[in-house]
Amino acid sequence: MNNKEALVICRCEEVTYGQVFATAKEHKCTSRELKLRTRAGMGFCGGRTCRVMVDRIIESIVPNTEEGDIPLKYQPPIRPVTFGTVGENHE
Amino acid sequence: MIDVIVIGAGPAGLAGAISCAENGLKVTVIDEFVRPGGRLLGQLHQEPSGEWWNGIKESEHLHNEAQKQSIDIRCGVSVYNLEKDEDAWNVHTNIGTLTAPYVLVATGAAEFPIPVPGWTLPGVMSVGAAQVMTNVHRVEVGKKGIIIGANILAFAILNELQLAGINVERIVLPEKSPLSKNAGEPEVVMKSLLNAAHLAPSPILRFGSSFMKNEGFRKLGMKFFPKSGVKVNGTPLQLRKAALEILGKDQVEGVLTADIDVNGNVIKGTEKVYEADFVCIAGGLYPLAELTAVAGCPFKYVPELGGHVPHHSEKMETPLEGLFVAGNITGIESGKIAMAQGTTAGISIAKHAGKGSTDINEKLEQAMKNVHTVRQNAAIQFNPEVANGRRKIYELWDVFYGKEQDTLQEIG
Repeated sequence: MNNKEALVICRCEEVTYGQVFATAKEHKCTSRELKLRTRAGMGFCGGRTCRVMVDRIIESIVPNTEEGDIPLKYQPPIRPVTFGTVGENHE
Repeated sequence: MIDVIVIGAGPAGLAGAISCAENGLKVTVIDEFVRPGGRLLGQLHQEPSGEWWNGIKESEHLHNEAQKQSIDIRCGVSVYNLEKDEDAWNVHTNIGTLTAPYVLVATGAAEFPIPVPGWTLPGVMSVGAAQVMTNVHRVEVGKKGIIIGANILAFAILNELQLAGINVERIVLPEKSPLSKNAGEPEVVMKSLLNAAHLAPSPILRFGSSFMKNEGFRKLGMKFFPKSGVKVNGTPLQLRKAALEILGKDQVEGVLTADIDVNGNVIKGTEKVYEADFVCIAGGLYPLAELTAVAGCPFKYVPELGGHVPHHSEKMETPLEGLFVAGNITGIESGKIAMAQGTTAGISIAKHAGKGSTDINEKLEQAMKNVHTVRQNAAIQFNPEVANGRRKIYELWDVFYGKEQDTLQEIG
């Protein structure tokens, strides 16, 4: 694996550029599918750093996709929280 | 009972909170950071008039005003969800759920990451992080730095690092790739800098005016762009050099670079290592709008505004009843614009809540006009086409929601 392929895209799940790029090339899929296949964006931070890059990889590989119409969906919680907090336990 | 919850204690949020309170509303402001001010806290630059813009002083001024109005400001609070039941918004935070009929989302912007091999090494940070460490925490980020990425934000923060006595050795471009996109193409970068040159607040940003705006001359200019770069306030800006990899064993030790052609393609055999103990990655800013997304607000992609922005009117309303926006969430602009928008949003909320005096409509008109005035007098434009971007989103609003609003006003 060369340096570019080993470049870490998703730090939380330690997913590399090589993995995301190869998966996108093979499946020519949506951002969401790319996320589910590679786990890029599914870690602790909720994809706050890598979602832009996941989108850009799709944009560069899948024909007729533009930055404007491929963002991943946002869903709560948009910040890391404990189960206790979500369960309304604020002790 | 809280009337308004403001999310974000930056220039837009604080100004919005103050104008809500001035019009008789009870306001709570929440912010993730440990102190109020948002990105104001990092800002320090000289205006074309010669006056200094000290963001910390500005934030203190806003904070004092807010305290005079008995606004409840809670720092260190993160919002992880925003949703509405029949008549109130629920703001879910790490200290519990707050409820109010009106919410102003003023969450600002986030930085685009540009991945470079080696970017997980200690000593690599976004340029915004270097700004916060320097101007907010007063921590020296390093002795010898390299900035990867040439844009307005990078230059503004370069200037601030220099003022703090921190040595930035050079600015280079990221290597051209699907991830860096235009940020790796010298000619495109040059064009974006030229557009900003006439608005540049200080000589550091005006270097570009020595180049012609004509495309042919620009190409020629890029072709003969000096290898050693053009000095930006003492730091060489090397538009014909790209960072290939950040090197180091346990921390940053240097950056492997190579010369690039006008289109950003690497010229083989020109590799060179520059020593460094810190690296700043400057990818630019985009509106941080995730909360309006989970709330169910529709979006429009407007490149002039920095990316996806929630649908909103010039009065800072969103299509969702009781939900308002202000500041960089509506498009990347300066802190001064954010304040003017915040004030507009506050008056707008007061109007919807049936508060304020009989001249509330006039006040709202005045506040909207003020946003334009501030924009016309702005020293820095992050995007030269920002006014067009604004027009696009307001036109969209009129087409989608204009009629509905008029009807509401008639009934009201």
